[in-house]
Amino acid sequence: MANQTPAVVMDNGTGFSKLGFAGNDSPSFVFPTAIATKGGAAGSHAGSGSGRPSVANKPSFLTGGAGPGGHLSAKRGTEDLDFFIGDEALAASGGPGYGLHYPIRHGQIEDWDHMERFWSNSIFKYLRVEPEDHYFLLTEPPLNPPENRENTAEIFFESFNCAGMYIAVQAVLALAASWTSAKVTDRSLTGTVIDSGDGVTHVIPVAEGYVIGSSIKSIPIAGRDITYFVQSLLRDRGEPDSSLKTASEIKEEHCYVCPDIVKEFAKYDRDRSRFAKHVVRHPNGREVSVDVGYERFLAPEIFFNPEIYSSDFLTPLPNVVDNVIQQSPIDVRRGLYKNIVLSGGSTLYKDFGRRLQRDIKHLVDTRIKASEVRSGGARSGGLDVQVITHKRQRHGPWFGGSLLGQTPEFRSYCHTKQEYQEYGPSIVRRFALLGGPGGS
Amino acid sequence: MLLLDYQNVLIESVLKERFAQDAPPASIDQTVSDFDGVTFHISTPETKTKILLSIQIRCFRDLVQHGAEQVLQREYGDYVTSTEPGYDFSVLIDVEGITGEKEERDALALKFALLKRNAMAAPFEAAYQEYYQLKEEASKFTSEEAPKGVLEGGQVKAIHYREEEAIYVKASHDRVTVIFSTIFREETDRVFGKVFIQEFVDARRRAIQNAPQVLFRNDPPLELQGVPGIKTTDGEKVGYVTFVLFPRHLTPQRMEDVISHIQTFRDYFHYHIKASKAYIHSRMRKRTADFLQVLRRARPENEEKERKTASGRTFKVQGS
Repeated sequence: MANQTPAVVMDNGTGFSKLGFAGNDSPSFVFPTAIATKGGAAGSHAGSGSGRPSVANKPSFLTGGAGPGGHLSAKRGTEDLDFFIGDEALAASGGPGYGLHYPIRHGQIEDWDHMERFWSNSIFKYLRVEPEDHYFLLTEPPLNPPENRENTAEIFFESFNCAGMYIAVQAVLALAASWTSAKVTDRSLTGTVIDSGDGVTHVIPVAEGYVIGSSIKSIPIAGRDITYFVQSLLRDRGEPDSSLKTASEIKEEHCYVCPDIVKEFAKYDRDRSRFAKHVVRHPNGREVSVDVGYERFLAPEIFFNPEIYSSDFLTPLPNVVDNVIQQSPIDVRRGLYKNIVLSGGSTLYKDFGRRLQRDIKHLVDTRIKASEVRSGGARSGGLDVQVITHKRQRHGPWFGGSLLGQTPEFRSYCHTKQEYQEYGPSIVRRFALLGGPGGS
Repeated sequence: MLLLDYQNVLIESVLKERFAQDAPPASIDQTVSDFDGVTFHISTPETKTKILLSIQIRCFRDLVQHGAEQVLQREYGDYVTSTEPGYDFSVLIDVEGITGEKEERDALALKFALLKRNAMAAPFEAAYQEYYQLKEEASKFTSEEAPKGVLEGGQVKAIHYREEEAIYVKASHDRVTVIFSTIFREETDRVFGKVFIQEFVDARRRAIQNAPQVLFRNDPPLELQGVPGIKTTDGEKVGYVTFVLFPRHLTPQRMEDVISHIQTFRDYFHYHIKASKAYIHSRMRKRTADFLQVLRRARPENEEKERKTASGRTFKVQGS
């Protein structure tokens, strides 16, 4: 068909949702995965806190089990349409009457009521598409339980009647996004994905498009921690403005990764021009200048030397990556070392990839040397370590989805509405591997 | 959100950003979809300051018949440019040529975001004009002696805006009739749809006397007799929703609003069907959680346990 409608790519993350159409090089909308509904935020709604549906004390069949809580079912009228999502939600929650909810926690959907409405609004208000006319590509975190997939499919097929859908694992899409890099030649779906967002950093080994679930590791250091660290350094120095916003701006504008901290300190002391100034504009027009010093290279350093920030997590990122690969099956390790792909906003620091590659290479070489000595004279052929940085890192999974969603065979990988009605929700437990061998 | 926006939010936000004073030039290349299979392409083909916005509508040929080109020319005037291949209509915006305050710039962005609405508005505007004309003519006669053509009104304008669905607009001397043919592929949707349309039909009777009259039927209404392409055999599947706009709605001041509203009817309708499903699902989830709670509580009060001695032998309580 000549004028086929583009597939809709939705990457709903813990912090931000990325929405757009396949074929574009950046998502059309990026906004917080937040929904503001009438009524208080805390506890009045099922599952807003712990993710477990809160249940009324005494269920009654007359009230629909609503109990004393201000649940939707007790309302008559259009209260269920009175909500905002994304940036509007943040704005609305500042005012009276609205409570803010985040339906996704740790990458997994916790509150399906909110999520369903979030989706409905993102489709109709922001993307402006009829779900009947479009195929959808959704993402899920690694180790997402199949029940969650089924719930998602139920919502998309039964509520929205979407034409067809595909649920892809974020890490696999991030690998696909790395195909844009010049360093990647063979378009394989084997590699290690380092996905560092705002809340948590994951190291995920993927072999031939399948996530090796048993060896996934996560690190409790990510974007937010770097911001806190910058903030604490600013406070220690007594800068005139040390708000979280300023800290995060400094993090994004000035920070980079250095090859060696000691030498970097010396360089700064020799050359005063390396100290930068950051100007903060207050809404009332006042301008404050904040000095930016060692935190330029110290902040991202907490990935490589976590002991300068945290006292309970002490393994540097290169070691974690090395451990993850060492725990994976032996026949894929070479491929995992050769294709380490970065994804997410906290991997954007200059030279992050280079430093990571050097450190991992160092670990690997030491180990090879040690085993050479132990084996008494045998020579190893060496191991190729390559960390891949590319231009689409920030929205890596989304971009990978856009890349795969525009391929002509994408639709044949989707499950369609007919198939769903024939087999039921369990059909989405399995998807053929998109972009894998046999694909383009 | 009760009503849908008329403009394309994405185009509006992209243009607002680009139109803003001292915005850094950036290249754009995005394909954007809108309702009814409309596709926009927003790009900067030559330089970063010249934005090309193209639209593709499947019923563009129908729209042109009813004067879409004049309407678009009126709205976009100098911005109209030669059409990008594969699309139906293009405008070229030179960012450097934009002057004025923030409000003016935002208004301009909004104007371009309304491209689809304006393109679709043409047949409705034509119907309005026709209505004014017919009214003029009809006022010369009393209802008995009027010649045949005047009372029956003008031609039916058909807009095949979706593959199987169409809007028909017909002007007569005292009203404009807008008929939507709708198709439901889904059994559930049909049921929901019926309830909704019934609400529309009843709205006039209950509260809102000023609302246009709404009729719903499964066979083609009389107005559509003799219009090519109307299937009569589909039975339940096809529905015809008729809006009768009365002189009250047909004043030139109201025209803009009425046209915007009526265009989004189908999307509005489907959005609300889906929102109701979401609402029902949310109640179902709540109910399930309650039932689970009941089940969890339903434990037998004193469970009969088999009692054993330390060596593992059992014994029965006597005399019970």
